[in-house]
Amino acid sequence: MTSLALAQILLNGLALGAAYALIALGFVIVINAVGAVNFAQGELVMAGGFAAIAIAPLVGDAAGLPGLLLLPLVMLLMGGLGVGFAHLAYFPLRKRPRVAVFVSTIAIGLVLQHLANAVFGAAPRVGPPLIAGDGPVVGGLTLSLQQLGVLGSAALLVSATGLFLGRTQTGRRMRAVAQDPEMAAAIGIRPARMITLSFALAVALAGAAGLLLSNQFFVSPNDGGLFMLKAYIAVTIGGWGRLDGAVLGALLIGLFETLVAAFTSYLVAEALLYGVLLAMLAFRPSGLLPERARTRV
Amino acid sequence: MFLKKTAIALAAILAAAGAARAETVPVLVPITGFLSLEGTSQRNGAVMAIDKLGAAEGLETEVTDTGTTPEGAVTALRRALAGEPSAAISSMLGTQMLAMIPIADRAGVPLLTVSGTAKITELGSANVFRFFPGDSVVKVAQARYAVEKLGAKRPALLYQTTAYGQSGAAHLKKILSGLGAPLVFEEAVDISVKDMLPVLTRMQAADPDILLLHLHSGSTALVIRQARESGNMLPVVAGSAMHQPTTAALLEASQLKGVCAESASSPISEAAGPVADFTAEYRERFGIEPDAFALAQYDGAAMLVAAKAAGAKSAAEVRDWLAANSFDGLAMTYKSDGTGNMAHDAVVVCYDGKSRVPAIASRYENVDGSN
Repeated sequence: MTSLALAQILLNGLALGAAYALIALGFVIVINAVGAVNFAQGELVMAGGFAAIAIAPLVGDAAGLPGLLLLPLVMLLMGGLGVGFAHLAYFPLRKRPRVAVFVSTIAIGLVLQHLANAVFGAAPRVGPPLIAGDGPVVGGLTLSLQQLGVLGSAALLVSATGLFLGRTQTGRRMRAVAQDPEMAAAIGIRPARMITLSFALAVALAGAAGLLLSNQFFVSPNDGGLFMLKAYIAVTIGGWGRLDGAVLGALLIGLFETLVAAFTSYLVAEALLYGVLLAMLAFRPSGLLPERARTRV
Repeated sequence: MFLKKTAIALAAILAAAGAARAETVPVLVPITGFLSLEGTSQRNGAVMAIDKLGAAEGLETEVTDTGTTPEGAVTALRRALAGEPSAAISSMLGTQMLAMIPIADRAGVPLLTVSGTAKITELGSANVFRFFPGDSVVKVAQARYAVEKLGAKRPALLYQTTAYGQSGAAHLKKILSGLGAPLVFEEAVDISVKDMLPVLTRMQAADPDILLLHLHSGSTALVIRQARESGNMLPVVAGSAMHQPTTAALLEASQLKGVCAESASSPISEAAGPVADFTAEYRERFGIEPDAFALAQYDGAAMLVAAKAAGAKSAAEVRDWLAANSFDGLAMTYKSDGTGNMAHDAVVVCYDGKSRVPAIASRYENVDGSN
């Protein structure tokens, strides 16, 4: 394998991992907010891809940046969906055993899948490109504008999420509710509002990932399960409850899968990935970047 | 006396109502899951034929989504059998068919399918009727076109890890060896794989002169798109998924240059005649383009209607009629080879790089010599 081919494969793996990072980030935000797993995260990614396709005619091929212009619109739309999702999947069941919440997220995920099938049809669809046109050639390596766009957008969104949660008053309130909702309420923070915001942010990030992936890898109503699985593995490897762990785990998965498949086969790559996952669960269950002990469902 | 007359009249009315009562044909197909695109085509074709042709025979359809698991298909079939149908339209997913066949055999109910998996007609079941050419037909067309028309000597093959993929790959390997062009590279690709560059890169190292695909729709489009974007311009002869208009819609017309596909038929390639009429009606009814699966299942359901019109009432009579008679469908003439393979013709279609509508490049009739 030539070094150019290897560089191209690495770039692909990094772009895929960056998109997975957004999915995993949203996944962890919900875990931290309510202590339960959102099993609809994959379907929300799929919904983001279809949302992008649905509203793409609004921007057309504007300035050659259709996808980038659509990104804030899709995130806004999906954020709104996140608010509805919280009030449907979480709040009515918040006083029930936590298993009820993840069952409700599975149910909503299935509803989204069937809804997409009914509205958009069963066929895979191609989303709008982030940046239209051919990419530059650097040292013989053809850089895909789409991949560069995915990498840049994901890096921006991950950084912005980190800054929002770490440096803003609202972000600190969300973290306070995540750590101890009763104490947060005692000091005047409204947990329900912060939890709603967490769902909105998580679903907006899932929607962004859906848009980023929809052009290069298409989108179909059945894609949710795959994305959910990747997010789950990323969080398990990176560390439950850690935002940086989720991002690290996702990037590692993207690179691992692509590189191992490039030298062996997809089947070996898949088997090794699950082997690593099992090893992590056996020998380092708290992940690469462990958080402090906490009960999870 | 009055009561007796009333009872006789009531009995006559009930008997007439019973005679006119519609018979439900179960349509058990994957409308959700990774095969939902093809399953939707199958459903549309069956429903269109029964609505259009079967109403006169008192037939109507009831569609059940089988998903993509064998359990889903078995549950759907068991539920449908409670209505004692004389035949069922059944899933095109090979793994589901393999699970449904023993149940259909016990009930003695014929299954009409468009599944391409070779094994479903190799089990000795008298109740399987396949209206899409199996691998023993379409893979011959695919391999022969690659070797005889395009001059391939060093083919590479990517196929799906599913039963469908493995069945097609096994046939292709055998046929290509027989044609003196053994594979120089092969790999199974899972349906969930999105990034095809790793396998395309390894394939290039084997220096193939043609790329053969036996993948489902999404994977087919991903391979061709990523190959073209990475500068790989190898000619491609793909499986039937590539003839589907929805697959072509995922690619730029220019990326389709040098791409061909085997299929039973290509409805959108026909400019005039009964197939073009079918295409126009299908478009109007469903708002999408028909593919070969829709047309094949339309023909299959039309043959079921013909069996009914010929007087076949029970499941056994329908089965015997399907096994013994030939039927001139829109795509081809169907006749059982004794094992339930009804379709024996194939076409290869090719794209010119300027449009997403392929042209029929070669026809292969009675490939298995059993018609």
